[in-house]
Amino acid sequence: MTATLLVQVLVNGLQRGMIFVLVASGLVLILGVAKIFNFAHGEFYMLGAYAAFFACCIAGLNYALGLILAVLAIALLGGLTYTAVFRHIRSNILLGAAATMGLSLIFRQGALVLFGSLQKGIPSVFPGLITVAGISLPVERLVIIMLTLLIMSALYFVLMKTKLGKSIRAVMADEEAASLQGIDSNLIYLITVAIGCSLAGLAGAIMAPVYAIFPDMGEAMLMIVLLVIIVGGLESLNGAVIAGLAAGLLLSFGYQFIGVYNEIVVFLIVAAFLLFRPWGLFGHPHEAGW
Amino acid sequence: MKTGKLISLLILAVILALLPFVVKSPYLMGIFIMAVVNAILGMTFSIIFSTGSITLGAAGFYVTGAYCSAVLTTVLGLSFWLALPLAAIVTGIIALIVGLIIVRSSVLAFLFLTVVYNLTIISLIGHTELLGGWAGITNIPRPESIPIPFHAPIQFLGKIPYYYLVLFLLLLTIVVFYALYSSRIGRGWRAIKLNPQLAASLGINVFRYRLLAFVVACIFAGLAGSFYASYSTALVPEGFGVFESVFIQIYAILGGLNSYIAGPIVGAFILTWMPELLRISKEIEPIIDGFILVILVVFLPGGILSLPERASRLWTPVVKIARRIRSW
Repeated sequence: MTATLLVQVLVNGLQRGMIFVLVASGLVLILGVAKIFNFAHGEFYMLGAYAAFFACCIAGLNYALGLILAVLAIALLGGLTYTAVFRHIRSNILLGAAATMGLSLIFRQGALVLFGSLQKGIPSVFPGLITVAGISLPVERLVIIMLTLLIMSALYFVLMKTKLGKSIRAVMADEEAASLQGIDSNLIYLITVAIGCSLAGLAGAIMAPVYAIFPDMGEAMLMIVLLVIIVGGLESLNGAVIAGLAAGLLLSFGYQFIGVYNEIVVFLIVAAFLLFRPWGLFGHPHEAGW
Repeated sequence: MKTGKLISLLILAVILALLPFVVKSPYLMGIFIMAVVNAILGMTFSIIFSTGSITLGAAGFYVTGAYCSAVLTTVLGLSFWLALPLAAIVTGIIALIVGLIIVRSSVLAFLFLTVVYNLTIISLIGHTELLGGWAGITNIPRPESIPIPFHAPIQFLGKIPYYYLVLFLLLLTIVVFYALYSSRIGRGWRAIKLNPQLAASLGINVFRYRLLAFVVACIFAGLAGSFYASYSTALVPEGFGVFESVFIQIYAILGGLNSYIAGPIVGAFILTWMPELLRISKEIEPIIDGFILVILVVFLPGGILSLPERASRLWTPVVKIARRIRSW
């Protein structure tokens, strides 16, 4: 075990972790503000990757433009999904979650029928290695870490400093009080769902040049992200960030040392964690019914 | 049990028992067998729902039971009749261990963790060569023939013996679940579903009651899995993914979540027969099922058996039959 390998695994883990953070924070936003649990979130990730593929490889646009178009497309799809379905299922969070499973079925099977089961891919945008202090690292992964850091900072800035972000946090804290202050809570729900879905789509579009694109790619992502938000405390953005990074690092180091069973090891670690803290890192015991 | 209920139950039992004399095609019998298996699985969803939680991991325990049974019969060479209860018990023990961890969490986290269990068990089986990996396990022996005095032994060659076996399992499930629902435990579950805090303040141990429902559900899912392993004689892990759990959930929701026993049976029969009757291709089927689920939750959360309350008086005869079925 050399220092070189250690740094490479660390960078790899950080990059995976940041992608988990992006997807998980979208899920947490939707859950926290609109009180909808979106099982179709993995499918928005998958559709984001497909959108980037179609923009770059079929329409022949450059990658940056493709990324923006993919985000806009997924935001639009998220908004439409909210208007068509989510709006009606807000009253019962458990049955609502069941309904989003139906959406997941529709999107995934729809992608399979429309795009085929063959794996697709975008040629790498930043090929090559960069050597820092004798350690070679893939440029691509470093770019992804930078890009996702930028996006997360932007998200925090919007949530903390802008009027829209303040309205979102107000609705999250107390919908009725927010409405009394003149905030249109339905509009806020719509915007939050669109932002949340587009974060997943963005993560998919960012990963499109790295991983293969196929209709089932959302499932593995959803599993990790579910663990991430449970450990983070369901409705906490900070929790999602910490747990997401931890999951990326654990999976990366786990793959290095244990191999294909790394996901099961992560599951066991999460199980052990939940024995002592069933409500997660930043959750509250009373929310879990304790 | 009221006489009305008893009569309608008997009529249904007679219809189901006489089915092989009317339906001659083995293919159609196969669909009936799967409908009954699905009905058992749907009831395991309902028993957990009766405590106010929702599971999306039913297929995870179904596959656990199936693989337990497959390993016991192929690797250890046990008889199916021994493997059937053993697989259910092993599934129950696994469910107890898993439940001790996941039932403690909030209902939402429980929902996610059942999904995680389902994904994990599939990935575990897929990566384990001993269990056949992603290619699956084949050549699972059929159940041994049952000797009967003064008669040829019952051999499991055609579909009909399997049909009666699964019908017996359905009956067992109904009896056990009915006994639970009408006992003190069932009343405890109802109280927990209405208000967990209030139930806890009345001295009901919410965690233990929920854990019991979870373990019982998983035991019966394992039983169904064990049957399925010997019925299909081959298992592929990918057939038991989260989608299968979603279908199981649709059986219960389609029939009606307020009737824990009749609902899943009605839902499972409709949904198992639907692709056959509408001649939908395997590719399109999940999309239609997805739409059914979304539409049900949005427009008809009470399921098909709640139609009596919604239908107009023109429907009176239909309503009467539906009421009769639902009153079980």
